[in-house]
Amino acid sequence: MLSDYARTLADYLIAAALIGSAMYLTYNILRKFGVKPETASGYTLIVPWLLGFVIWTAYPILASLYYSFTDFNGLQPPRWVGLENYKNLLERGSYFWPSLRMTLLYGAISLPIGLTLALLIAMVLAREDVRFIGFWRTMFYLPAVIPTVATLVLWIWLLSTNGLVNQILSPIYNLIGMEKPSWFTDPTYALPGLIIMSLWGVFGANTVILLAGIKNIPRELYEAVAVDGGGAWAKFWHVTLPMVSPTLFYTLVLGIIGAVKTFEPGVFINLPRATGTFLQVLVYQYAFGTRALMGYASALSWLMLLIILILTALVFRSSALWVYYEGERR
Amino acid sequence: MATTTTARTSAAEKPTYLYKVQSLAVKVLVYMVLLLGLSIVIIPIYWMIATSLKTDTALFLIPPQWFPDPIQWSNYIEVWQLVPLARYFANSVFVTLLAILGEIITSALVAYGFARFRFPGRGVLFSIMLATMMLPSIITLIPSFIIWARWLGRYDTYSPLTVGSLFAWGPAYIFLLRQFFLTIPRDIEEAAIIDGGNLLQIFGYIMLPLVRPALLAITILSFTGNWNNFLSPLIYLSTPEKFTLPLGLYQFNKSLAGGSEAPKWNMMMAMAVLMTIPIIVLYFRAQRYFIEGITVGAVKG
Repeated sequence: MLSDYARTLADYLIAAALIGSAMYLTYNILRKFGVKPETASGYTLIVPWLLGFVIWTAYPILASLYYSFTDFNGLQPPRWVGLENYKNLLERGSYFWPSLRMTLLYGAISLPIGLTLALLIAMVLAREDVRFIGFWRTMFYLPAVIPTVATLVLWIWLLSTNGLVNQILSPIYNLIGMEKPSWFTDPTYALPGLIIMSLWGVFGANTVILLAGIKNIPRELYEAVAVDGGGAWAKFWHVTLPMVSPTLFYTLVLGIIGAVKTFEPGVFINLPRATGTFLQVLVYQYAFGTRALMGYASALSWLMLLIILILTALVFRSSALWVYYEGERR
Repeated sequence: MATTTTARTSAAEKPTYLYKVQSLAVKVLVYMVLLLGLSIVIIPIYWMIATSLKTDTALFLIPPQWFPDPIQWSNYIEVWQLVPLARYFANSVFVTLLAILGEIITSALVAYGFARFRFPGRGVLFSIMLATMMLPSIITLIPSFIIWARWLGRYDTYSPLTVGSLFAWGPAYIFLLRQFFLTIPRDIEEAAIIDGGNLLQIFGYIMLPLVRPALLAITILSFTGNWNNFLSPLIYLSTPEKFTLPLGLYQFNKSLAGGSEAPKWNMMMAMAVLMTIPIIVLYFRAQRYFIEGITVGAVKG
């Protein structure tokens, strides 16, 4: 046990020493070539990130692009196969399409609902007549503090066939003559189950972020609307929404990236085959499963990157229509 | 409170009366929304704690047993024997501490460099750094695994989970700290330079104390991030004794899911509660910094 720690500690210290010497060398070499102290200091200070970027980001991106065109199991050297991985994924990907559908649906449903709810609660909390705001904020943010895996196990238990949710809802099931759903094993209910779970986990964090955005709105703007005879709706539509739109945009972008990157639920829950699973889980299963299809998995991860890029580009594009930046004149 | 009769008789009072009723109705509505939200948040958390204190037979009662009867505190002792929980805790603490330390020191150095020194290419490099925030880690996962496992022979060690932190691996932290460094007046450093301080002295003795709130905020972000991290331990660790808490809970859940006996939800919930406690304690003690950490990007960015 202690030897495990000692080994890592040694690695850690060696890496720290290497980075330290890299910084030392950078400074002295730059100074020797007559670079100004300020410039040399700047480069020296960013050396840890620069090294990290080259070793842990730039190289891996290029390597994974290369792997995606190869047949690679991690042990033998990669064998070039051209576009075969991509072709197989798109044409014969019996898992890929359902999983893509599921990942996108998951994001497309949970994000709007989650953000609307968060905005609603944030607006309520921002009211001046709400007392104990600290208390409410503390409580609403609580689910976001609980470790993801703990939340997951809790919700698997809550949504089990005889779990609390089904028991609380059983009068409603009886009323509409419906069987108790087994949330995560029935393809019809798997996605709603996952969405309920994610809403519970993230909406507190979004609420707090949006609340900060709303609290930043100058009060004069509301007073101006009131002077013009505008009511609550006018205040929301002409002040709150435009003023909070940059914050909403930020949470939306983070939410999209987060949704495409969803991982833990797909690993903890054995989702029915027909539902597919989250794309990132698929990458994990291909690369680290028994067959170690690392080339194939790399191709899939590149498709994921493309999806994220397309979605965020669309959101950024659309932002001109609905995001209002103060000080910007159009 | 005005009564209906006075409102009807006196026309002058009518608007205020209406206004009062209206504002009362709004108030009731507001608190109803908040209470509904609160119960949605609280009931699952309560259920987690209640379940963790139940006997095996009380778990599946219909209707559900809202208050555990009897309260079986011994679950919290038994769970340590059922899974190597002490090992998981030690492993999680070890990994989290090293990762936080590396992350904080290096992100502060890099943020200081980006915030305070002019050098050619700074803008481009900073944009690249921000762009990596958007990069899904899954892209770099497989090559990083090859580097750690095949080239460096560090599979099933904690090195892949900790050493990377020394390379300022959290672009969001760098961004956040830089925003704080930018708010500090330059005169402070200039005075120190005149007094003959060198770069590291100025950084360590003057700049770091000035951005203490930001450092605490990223300490908390980094703590929760590393404490909760699941993906890296999952791919890098294989010996069960080396597992961190999240991976241990996964293992526990998996070992019970396929078994013939009913899942021990009480034990799993006890473990979930135990691994949540450190974060909850931190949350209630340093809440300001939690909020600061998550909102700064949205509002200042």
